[in-house]
Amino acid sequence: MATFLATYDFLLVSMALAAVLALTLYLPLMAGQLSVASPGFYALGGYVAAILSTKVFHPAPGLYPVSLVLIEMAVAAVVSGILGIAVGLPALRLRGIFLALATIAFVQILGVVALNLDVTGGAIGIFGIPQPFGSQLQYMWLAIPLLLLSMLFVARLERTRTGRALIALREDELAAAAMGVDPTYHKVLAFTASAVLAGAVGAISAHFINTWNSRQGTFDTSVNLMAFVLVGGSRTFVGPVVGGLVLTALPEALRGVADVGGLPPWFAQFLRDGRLIIFGVLIALGTVFFPHGLITPGLLGRLGLGRRTGRV
Amino acid sequence: MNGRLFLQQVLNGLAIGSVYAIFALGYTLIFSVLRIINFTHGAIFTLGAYATYALTGSQFGINGLLAGATLPVRLPFVLALLGGSLVSAVSGVIVERLAFRPLRTRGADPLLTLVSSLGVAVALVNVTQYLFGAEPYSFPDPLSELPSAVNFGTAGQPVLVRTVQVVIFGVSIVMLVLLTYLMNATRTGKALRAVAEDTTTSSLLGIDTDRLILLTFVISGFLGGVTGTLIGLSVGIAGPYFGIAFGLKGLAVIVLGGLGDIPGAVVGGLVIGLAEAFVPAQYIAYREAVPFALLFLVLLVRPQGLLGRAQVQKV
Amino acid sequence: MSRHFASFAVMVALVAVMAGAVVSGALVGHAADPIPIGVSVAQTGPVALAGQEQVLGAQIAEEYFNKHGGVNGRPIKLVFQDGGSDEPTAINAFQNLINVAKVVGIMGPSLSQQAFAADPFAVRAKVPVIGPSNTAKGIPQIGEFVSRVSSPVAIVAPNAVKAAMEINKNLKKVAVLYAQNDAFNKSETETFQQTVKDLKLDLATVQTFQTTDTDFTAQVTNVLNVNPDLVIISGLQVDGANLVKQLRDLGYKGLIVGGNGVNTAAIFPICKAKCDGILIAQAYSPAYKSKINDEFKSVYKDKQKKDPPQFSAQAFAGIQVFVEALRALDKKSPLAKMDLATLRVELNKQLIAGTYDTPLGEISFSTGPGMGGEIVQKQAYVAQIKMEPDGTKGTFVFVK
Repeated sequence: MATFLATYDFLLVSMALAAVLALTLYLPLMAGQLSVASPGFYALGGYVAAILSTKVFHPAPGLYPVSLVLIEMAVAAVVSGILGIAVGLPALRLRGIFLALATIAFVQILGVVALNLDVTGGAIGIFGIPQPFGSQLQYMWLAIPLLLLSMLFVARLERTRTGRALIALREDELAAAAMGVDPTYHKVLAFTASAVLAGAVGAISAHFINTWNSRQGTFDTSVNLMAFVLVGGSRTFVGPVVGGLVLTALPEALRGVADVGGLPPWFAQFLRDGRLIIFGVLIALGTVFFPHGLITPGLLGRLGLGRRTGRV
Repeated sequence: MNGRLFLQQVLNGLAIGSVYAIFALGYTLIFSVLRIINFTHGAIFTLGAYATYALTGSQFGINGLLAGATLPVRLPFVLALLGGSLVSAVSGVIVERLAFRPLRTRGADPLLTLVSSLGVAVALVNVTQYLFGAEPYSFPDPLSELPSAVNFGTAGQPVLVRTVQVVIFGVSIVMLVLLTYLMNATRTGKALRAVAEDTTTSSLLGIDTDRLILLTFVISGFLGGVTGTLIGLSVGIAGPYFGIAFGLKGLAVIVLGGLGDIPGAVVGGLVIGLAEAFVPAQYIAYREAVPFALLFLVLLVRPQGLLGRAQVQKV
Repeated sequence: MSRHFASFAVMVALVAVMAGAVVSGALVGHAADPIPIGVSVAQTGPVALAGQEQVLGAQIAEEYFNKHGGVNGRPIKLVFQDGGSDEPTAINAFQNLINVAKVVGIMGPSLSQQAFAADPFAVRAKVPVIGPSNTAKGIPQIGEFVSRVSSPVAIVAPNAVKAAMEINKNLKKVAVLYAQNDAFNKSETETFQQTVKDLKLDLATVQTFQTTDTDFTAQVTNVLNVNPDLVIISGLQVDGANLVKQLRDLGYKGLIVGGNGVNTAAIFPICKAKCDGILIAQAYSPAYKSKINDEFKSVYKDKQKKDPPQFSAQAFAGIQVFVEALRALDKKSPLAKMDLATLRVELNKQLIAGTYDTPLGEISFSTGPGMGGEIVQKQAYVAQIKMEPDGTKGTFVFVK
């Protein structure tokens, strides 16, 4: 058990953080908007934390105080929120594939800016980010509460008026607008909530991987998030969470399976190096055989979880 | 801004842009008929380049599963190009059958198809790397007899454009003309446009939609193979990932021109090429952001693109 | 109905795979006899080209040293875990090597950015790391257990500029280009630009590009516009080679200095005859005459039919440092009697203290408080590429 935790502590926390990021894609999706802007806010949150902890706060040597990390998360959340509103207001007038493309463009532009500013360190990025914990596993103290809180938030959201308004927008935007639901207000709300959450995750991640640079939070991250939601389940918040947990673990689990003795060497080598092939194929198969993802409200109903309301 | 520099930058823009244009043609063709964005275009174009390389009788390097392999044929470049593009066309069809058709028959959301195509693209690129290794390859150069650059200026004031880029520009215009002719002046083209308009009604009217969709993928794959090979000629096959970067910029190109609009793909490509060429020298570090800034702007101001028609929302 | 059952079944299968990983992790230990050394480089992803060269260098080292008695009779065994081209994969690879494969030391990762992320994990676990290709500033300063055999950019780069000035005594104007999205190239260009200023040359323009770029028409136009005598390029193999080709195609006739990223025969297929004349400051030269370099070269040439690239030589040197340090340590106090934790700590101390005659030349390490081993390399090389007229074969000719 000790070896398991020592080997997989980084992975376990990554899984939890990935699940939260998956929720940031789910939030706009509740309103029927596919926005892949979260990686941009994730990157922004990480830079905020990295810059604050290495250049602004000058703590004593030793472990970095967790309270400062929480402050960084708050600052990251606020900055992301403001940028979220600024970008969301014009962008959310777009629908469907156009919005997805606009958010892709946004992430690319942020990446180029990050490469060019001095304060972000350019391609080298910022390194030597102080650690608030002695071991990676202790990051669970931040990751798990964040995950549980966001799950709770989204679960409750589905029951409130705002949540129902979002679902109405997803089902039929024109009809909802005709019935008095303000589309722009609600879409920007979901988008901004998603930005705030992504920024907070970014702030934790910067400490978690010791370094932050423009390679964190790119189009590749968007691809991963889309996989989490579309394979995990796009109709209930449990889906993205499960998708995030499982698909983050998968490449590393394949690495672990490859290490099992007794496999023919070419197969073991394929499992090790072919992780990306397997990943890609799984995504493609998943969309064909499970178009609403693995976790659907129907499945939850059959398992005795979840409510009877909500359409499949 | 002197005249010579201006002319140089215009020609640079057209050169850069025509590369984007030929890539975007295959991309936008699929969208025009099926309303989906096919990310595998980048992977298929890479496969075409590798296939052409193999058909010229060249040898693969040391790193993949097929280390040191060669085909027992040595075709001249043009024949290898056609052969390689046929390979891409076939790959496109296989991808269509395996990945897109099941989604289409279930009436899946186009966004789901986008994600599926991403998954397939990732898998294909990595299979290519697994088989052939990550090394760069170069074609035996058919243009080596010609001078490396064409001078559009004078001997005293040279304005040079690389010969291979002039070739690519020429090919993009030819492809544009052929495709436009196909879509507008032939029966097949009319049938394709009918399928694009409404698949169900078309099939009710007796059009074999399945065969036409297959044809679309064949043409798009073939175009992709030609594109990959020509770009490989210009800059070498940089490795299995070299198609993926085009996939992203290609999005900006086709939206700018108008999603699904065939001349739009060329116009979009040239406009973005010109925009990149005219970035002032001291801001060159932000050049990468230019296509995406343009994309964002176009989406806000005119989402149907430069040549598209404004979409009317039917209730 | 069956749809939901199928989803459920898939989930169960996925969980089973992960459980299998857990169990396998717990059961796999290392066999008592061969000494495990970890190698974590980029075997997949966009940087795989470099990674594959490193794997080859390491494998040649494993065969070579095991043939020559291993560690005083005990063979070494290299354990490869793909570090990918991104930070989290490198971290996971390191974790696996440290905790599951229980290696005595790790060689890797490929990229400097990955080192900033993954090396701290090794430092916390007190496992020695040798970077074969991390050249950015600040790597050994990450911690006491981080060393590198890749010469930092600041040492290697200026020699090539000086060599250019000797060839063209009237050299005045310089244009610098670099890949802005790569940490190594960004570090290298800062050194080159500083060198240009120190040597009182005129830095006429600085242009940037991305390592993934293939078209450089705009940058070349901007460079030609200032009419430079020398162009300095900091890029990786493919982009660097394409940039050279396009500079020459569009009429540039002056000197070109290439940074460490283009120090490989892999550029020849891309720029062919136009690669001729590039001056490169190298951390490794196949032309360097020494017994071990000759042997390394001949084994490499047998397999690959060309001269070994720098990445392979540095990987070989990295493994060599581990092996020779293990041998020295074993003589002082038998390895078989040490527990793994002590072995790792002692190995780290030993390797930093030693000198080694590697294919890179004679190397040793300098250290300081809080840092590991910074390489001190006796030989520095500047080479000029000489291509055959048909453009298929080329060599790196020693200049100084």
